Amino acid sequence: MAGSTIDHMVSVTLLVAVLLLSFGIYNQILASAIAYERSRQVAMKAVDLMDAICLSPGNPPDWGQSNCTPSSFGLQDPESAGYVLSPFSIMRLVSSGGDMAYYPKTGMWYSNVSMGEGGYLLTPIADCINYTTAARLLGVNGSYGFQLSIMPTVTVYVSEVSADPLRFKVEVRGPGLAIGGATLNYYLYRAIENPEEDYPLIETFSGINQTDSAGLAFLEFPAVDRSPCAYSIIVYAHLGGLAGVGYASYTSIENNHLIPFVESFEEGKVLLAHSWDLNTFPPPVSALHYNATFLLLTEDFELRQIQLDDSSGLVNYGEGKPYRRVQIPTSEAGILLVSYRRGDEDEYGTVMIPWGISTLGVSVTFGGDPSGSEWVATELRQVIVSEMPYQVKLAVWSLED
Amino acid sequence: MRTVEVLFVIIIILGAFIITTQFAVLPSPRQIFGTSLRELAASTLQTIDSKGELSETVFKSPSDISWGLLQKALPSSLPPNIVYNLTVFDILTSPDGVVTYRLVKSISDARGDLGVGSEAASCLVASPEVTFSITPEKIGERTGKNITLYILNCDDSNGWWITGYTAQTLASDLHNMLSPYFETTILVNTTDQLGLLLDGTSLTGEDLEGAVVINTCGEAVPVPSGYAEQYSAGSYAEYCYVLGQRVNQHNWTFVSIVGYPLYYVTNTVKFADSDNTWGIYGMVHVGPAGLNAFLRGIDNQGYSYDSSWITGDIGLVEFTSDARDLSNYYGLYPSPYHTATRALPESIENKYNLVRQATVFEPKGGYIAGATFSHMNGGALTAIGLTRIPDIRVSALALLMYYRPAFYRSEFGASGTSRLVVLQLAQQGET
Repeated sequence: MAGSTIDHMVSVTLLVAVLLLSFGIYNQILASAIAYERSRQVAMKAVDLMDAICLSPGNPPDWGQSNCTPSSFGLQDPESAGYVLSPFSIMRLVSSGGDMAYYPKTGMWYSNVSMGEGGYLLTPIADCINYTTAARLLGVNGSYGFQLSIMPTVTVYVSEVSADPLRFKVEVRGPGLAIGGATLNYYLYRAIENPEEDYPLIETFSGINQTDSAGLAFLEFPAVDRSPCAYSIIVYAHLGGLAGVGYASYTSIENNHLIPFVESFEEGKVLLAHSWDLNTFPPPVSALHYNATFLLLTEDFELRQIQLDDSSGLVNYGEGKPYRRVQIPTSEAGILLVSYRRGDEDEYGTVMIPWGISTLGVSVTFGGDPSGSEWVATELRQVIVSEMPYQVKLAVWSLED
Repeated sequence: MRTVEVLFVIIIILGAFIITTQFAVLPSPRQIFGTSLRELAASTLQTIDSKGELSETVFKSPSDISWGLLQKALPSSLPPNIVYNLTVFDILTSPDGVVTYRLVKSISDARGDLGVGSEAASCLVASPEVTFSITPEKIGERTGKNITLYILNCDDSNGWWITGYTAQTLASDLHNMLSPYFETTILVNTTDQLGLLLDGTSLTGEDLEGAVVINTCGEAVPVPSGYAEQYSAGSYAEYCYVLGQRVNQHNWTFVSIVGYPLYYVTNTVKFADSDNTWGIYGMVHVGPAGLNAFLRGIDNQGYSYDSSWITGDIGLVEFTSDARDLSNYYGLYPSPYHTATRALPESIENKYNLVRQATVFEPKGGYIAGATFSHMNGGALTAIGLTRIPDIRVSALALLMYYRPAFYRSEFGASGTSRLVVLQLAQQGET
């Protein structure tokens, strides 16, 4: 009897132990399979979203050059096929990379795409496409989150190494390594005194150079000194189908600056505001005499100056002193270059705003924040944005976990 | 004893577990977590070739310096953890049509094979030295004739049933679509110029005989002032009769792009105070008598006034198989489905000695929504009896179906003209 009981107990214990072990292992397998399947869905959604964003211009196709809200979302250039993105549609995305700016004189908030010194891209939030709208148009609102990063493939760093005479160091790098043997087309725009008017003249120097095997080059301007003027230098680097752009600026004015804001994408209107109106600062505060010109980027990486109507004027600060406005051609990508002078002092500044993100190699980050998500799928594509190669990285995660 | 039974049960459970795990195949981690390398390779090829550098390089000698630039550019554009292998093949076609691929050059930054986890994209690039062109045959050149295309673009006329367009915009579109197929294309800019043509006088020395005349005014037809004064009987049905006679006499093909042909006559100077009963001035209502008179004219019958309505409202019509084929051949893609409210009856073929050719829409209930009716003694009428608004591509297709000019295409596959470029990518660390 006792032997039989022991037999039963041993067999039941063994059976229960094996069953528990099996259930545990089966649970693990099932959990892994479900996790894999969910991850696979997110990865496939990432591919779908990337194709939808890069291979469709949206509707209307030219929404990037208008102030309307599209009824479907896509960034493809409507005049091209394949992985070619519109530089204007990207400009209308609300950047998640920089702090928004408020300009009291228009009473509007502006999306701030952070750029280097002397470059601004401030676009009106009311006319831009925000993350929620884009997610809704892509059909993923509430189900998937995404973050879109659009970065130039080639990075060009420009830094001043000597002021008198002016000398610059240029470094050209791809994502993997330095790019030696790249051809450099460079343009130096210097704001100098205008003997006949209060606003400054723009003096242009240009040339061609090449990077060495370490991707470095030095640009020298033997007859050009920095002080007391201001300058902006733009360098385009290209090699075997790759291209990139970099720039540097110097201004001899303290605090008093011109800040350009995009007013209308459709009409190409840019507001010129005094920096005191955004953030007050102690004296001296002076009105700024400005001279604006538009630089059109050609296919051969040449910058052609286009004269604008009402290109010069005076921007004052404080209440009752309205901002100024310049209108630029909207059909082609380019750069609005504004040189300015503080009052009748011998102090100058320059500021640039790209019309189409590629002309100054602007990077844009758009969308949500993937940090904290359990699993994030990423997709990468090479694209062309107005003749410039860019990389588009899309991070997608599920919001339903 | 129980222990032995339990051991059997355990063996069964473990067996089931092992068998289940054999069948429960999970996707490979790379398939889920990896970037889509094929898409990355395809977009990289497109980026590198955006300014034609890739196309130029792959046709250069393998020792040319441009290969070095490409070798620098490729890894510079890819993420650091990606390795590549770019291979170029020449496409050779033997006289008996067998295509072979010959390796020209391969560049890579990987040691050895890229492994089974690699993915590839390819593209066919054409030599910059070769121009691939499509040359349309000029209509009439096969028979040694120089056929002229006249597009009525009269600025002193109005249109009807061309809602949303003007005759001038339609004329411009037709010019773009059809002028490559004609040796001479002339826009007839005034009704006076049309009068010269009707008198048998060419405008620029072009060949008048056998010409094509496209009326872009829809249901209205321009009338020169002199002709309006001389042939006004039957509310200008007589003018339509004379027009039919001229079509027959000069062996023209007259094209009506929409609606009821010749339903109004238009001349904004002559009929400045008349409207077409719908408030459009510069027009006079002719009615069905215009088409009946035209058909009598083309058949050289005597003039008589006949205002009986002959067209049919047959609703939805669809392309014939011939129209579908030729739509593809000529690269004109109007919708194959349309609504016809002014389709001509088949009975006109016997009544006026016409032969139906190049039928665009399947006949329905004894009516033809779009076709060319040619007369045995010369002259033809291409009538598109669809409802407004006109799709001008249907008229262009109808004309091309009637004349059937050929295309002379360059051969993309000819030896030495194209090369196949394959870009293979892999992530480092994979096998």
